[in-house]
Amino acid sequence: MPTSPRHNLPAEPNRFVGRERDLDDLHGLFGETRVVTLCGVGGIGKTRLALRVAAGLVPAYPDGVWLVELARFGRPELVEQEIARVLGVREEASRPLLDTVTARLRDQRCLLVLDNCEHLVDRCAEVVAALVAACPSLRVLATSREPLRIASELIWRVPPLDLPDTGPPHAAEAEAAPYQPPGLAPDPASYPPPGLRPDLPPDLAADLGSDLPSYAPSRTASPGVAMSDVESVQLFMDRAAAAGTRLGPESLGDVVRLCRALDGLPLALELAAARTSLLSPGQIADRIDDRFSLLTTGGRTAPVRQRTLLAAVEWSYDLLSAKEQVLLRRLSVFAGDFDLDLAEQVCAERPIAGGEIVDLLGALVDKSLVLCDESRRRYWLLETIKRYAVERLDQAGEREVLRERHLNVLCELQERHFTTEMVEPATPWARRLEALTASRDLVDDQRVALDWAVESGNVGLGLRLCRTSTGLLPIRGNLTEIVGWVERLLSLDMTGVSADEIAHAKAYLAYGLEARDELSRSLEAAEQSLAGMDRDNVFPRCVMHSLMVIVLLRMGRSDEALHHAEEGLALATASGDTWNQAAGLLGLSAVALTRGRLREAQRHGEEALARAREHGHRWLMARAAAQLGAVAEARGDLVTAQAQYEMAVPWLRELGSDLDLARCLARIGRVAAMLHEFGAARRRLADSLALGRATGQRQGVARCLVGLSVLAEYEGDLEGAVLAAAAAAGLRESIGQHSATIRIEELLGRARTKLGEGRTTALWSRGRAMSPDDAARHVLQGERLSHKTPVTAEPVRHSLLTAREREIAGLLTRGLSNRGIAEELVISPATVARHIANIMEKLGYTSRAQIAVWAAEHAEHPKART
Amino acid sequence: MDERIVMVDSGTGLRLTEEQLDERSAVATVQLRRRGVRAGDTVLICLPVGPDLLVSTNAVIAAGGVVWPLPVDLDAATLRDRIQESDARVMISNVRRALEAAEESRVRIIMSVADLSAAHSYPTSR
Repeated sequence: MPTSPRHNLPAEPNRFVGRERDLDDLHGLFGETRVVTLCGVGGIGKTRLALRVAAGLVPAYPDGVWLVELARFGRPELVEQEIARVLGVREEASRPLLDTVTARLRDQRCLLVLDNCEHLVDRCAEVVAALVAACPSLRVLATSREPLRIASELIWRVPPLDLPDTGPPHAAEAEAAPYQPPGLAPDPASYPPPGLRPDLPPDLAADLGSDLPSYAPSRTASPGVAMSDVESVQLFMDRAAAAGTRLGPESLGDVVRLCRALDGLPLALELAAARTSLLSPGQIADRIDDRFSLLTTGGRTAPVRQRTLLAAVEWSYDLLSAKEQVLLRRLSVFAGDFDLDLAEQVCAERPIAGGEIVDLLGALVDKSLVLCDESRRRYWLLETIKRYAVERLDQAGEREVLRERHLNVLCELQERHFTTEMVEPATPWARRLEALTASRDLVDDQRVALDWAVESGNVGLGLRLCRTSTGLLPIRGNLTEIVGWVERLLSLDMTGVSADEIAHAKAYLAYGLEARDELSRSLEAAEQSLAGMDRDNVFPRCVMHSLMVIVLLRMGRSDEALHHAEEGLALATASGDTWNQAAGLLGLSAVALTRGRLREAQRHGEEALARAREHGHRWLMARAAAQLGAVAEARGDLVTAQAQYEMAVPWLRELGSDLDLARCLARIGRVAAMLHEFGAARRRLADSLALGRATGQRQGVARCLVGLSVLAEYEGDLEGAVLAAAAAAGLRESIGQHSATIRIEELLGRARTKLGEGRTTALWSRGRAMSPDDAARHVLQGERLSHKTPVTAEPVRHSLLTAREREIAGLLTRGLSNRGIAEELVISPATVARHIANIMEKLGYTSRAQIAVWAAEHAEHPKART
Repeated sequence: MDERIVMVDSGTGLRLTEEQLDERSAVATVQLRRRGVRAGDTVLICLPVGPDLLVSTNAVIAAGGVVWPLPVDLDAATLRDRIQESDARVMISNVRRALEAAEESRVRIIMSVADLSAAHSYPTSR
């Protein structure tokens, strides 16, 4: 199996400051706790802390640590969809996606990190509860302003960064004075440059800083810690240094005052630090203080931290130039990250010209209001900033205009990408692939734009956007989404939408329904689409004909299929459209194959491959190659079949089409087995099985089991063949699918002759009861039934206990109380309690009674041990 | 078997035997440690006088922590100040006013009385 990275955590953009004890505690929590939610106001650093915790846990989770970012989604159903996308799980026909995800995670030891749950908190709670209930080794770390409120959740409230000590509120007034007397300022060396000095434990740091007079306020847990070692000060200094500002020791007093004013809120500190190139910490502190006096006269209802943060964001926003302000608020229309090109197209409107945007964006990055990757190709806004910017956009009265524009731009871009990828003649594959990739990158924004189309009742543009991208289509393993969008839009007021537009959208509805195996509904939608679409809409008409061929063949109506294949091909030939010429020819080949006309099927298939090559799209080429493989197989020419299937593999890998690839690999494996190339067969089937498992496709797993059954039989392992076939049949039955009964009957016939009736029946029922994984392993590893590996016994744990602990455990069996034990051993009851807590922790027990039982069971041979 | 009564709840009349106290304290200690309480950590306890208070106190001490008691009848502002001063990471309380007062504090984890018993622990597979 290929080793892929076991996490998808982003690189840290800058130094992580402080929170060592918190990180430690949080790491420890995951031993026992299934779900931990980091709660707190926006800007307090939940995401950053979660990512840091998650990064530290990567070694502990063999099946990976997976970050699922939810901020950019507005619809609850996208929660499980995004989890699936991150895990590489694809939707199965007629099974809720969450079930597929759950099945995939069932035996996995992995950690899911759900970031920014608050706006979808109900759905997140349902999904997490369902996953945790079904997957015993799964752990979840969530960040949210609000808890999920589910039974297995531990709510962990993220505090601000530690502040320079202020002493108790009622302590001496002098201590609360914001300025350090100059003599008190620590020497500059005590502010370590990032990464040069490991962070010291407070006690040690205090020792090192012992040249400081010790009358610093000393109430908190870390008395005497140098001001510059306090988390919030460190963060400010670090970010100021990153902004190019060198702050000397003389500014420490102001920095301390500023950190207090900002309540140690990381985001507020970062925004302030980003301004130190122009304003001194003292000036910033003064201005922020003024702002608070304004703020507190306003709404007093919001919690202090939230008000502090708002003040900091507002202050930073107000310092922007007018054009920077305009750009920042407009950037809030994007779903998630965006590139310069998109920003220019959507945001360039009076008073900003397109050419200015690159500089304005750079200025916003410098001020920490916009984040970007190292190469400055992708930009994004922190959720807290985005929310603020949305409000400003609203206040400026620009929301509707901008979202409308966003919708329009998305339509244009996706249409252009679609045309380049599919329709445009004589375009090199590299350009088509580029368009395809660009279109996929825009999918999240496309969803946001579709949301706006629905919200604003702009059905025309919405439908247009539905038909402009392959990103929402089943090709990407997204079975239900396109159906949902089209149905949602078609349920709105359709005034002013032309019949052609509706018919065109129904084409995509039909496409989605076929993938969901809703054949008669798909056929109906396709018929309506063809009837309503303008004659000059040649490309989509051809696509509909091709779809009808597939649906009708699946329904066993090959005469009608033939008619549509011919009609589609004629249209495409007349218009010079190579995509649909290839698709039409593939239809003709498939019809011929169904009817047993192999030479005709071969000829059409070859021509289809030639047309597909002319077009250059790897997906189409792979389909043609697969068709030729099937035809060769039908002829009994296995060598050619294998070669044809192999041809498709690199094309499908290039596209990342997991599902098609899994199918292709399984076919190669089966054919290779029949050619007695057992090593190759085993590798291909194992790869296909891994893909089937990773994508959660039971159908794919069943297909592999059939291939493994063939492999086993050709290797002379008739028992394994029966087992694998039975497991495949059982799995297919659980999906509600029919198995190819002829092959099974033939196999069972041979098995009865060789192994006898009773043995065959026993093997069949054993295989049916076997898990697909066990059955697959049986054939893949060439296991024989006779060698049953014994179950490994759980290791005994008593050696963990110290002599004293064993002694106390023994006394517990006599039913003694802590006091009783204490008297017996002449120690204090508190010590006894501590020993008992240790024993429980070591043995993983949760009650004294359990220890007593354990001790009784292990008391029989106490002298056997030392 | 030791059947010594160590406390009678004035409200309910329920008796807490020494055995029960030991058992509940031990379980609670484990729960505290699982949530990261270490030797020297301050733990806030705001509970009415009764068996739960006794169990919590014992457990905090057994976990090596320092008990920082908060009388339940303190007013909101005083509660907030005390919580702030304590610098505690963990608080044990079911008292609504105390929970509210902890809102903007540095308390990371709030444990209810139910959280102190093993029945509330989660099914896990390690």
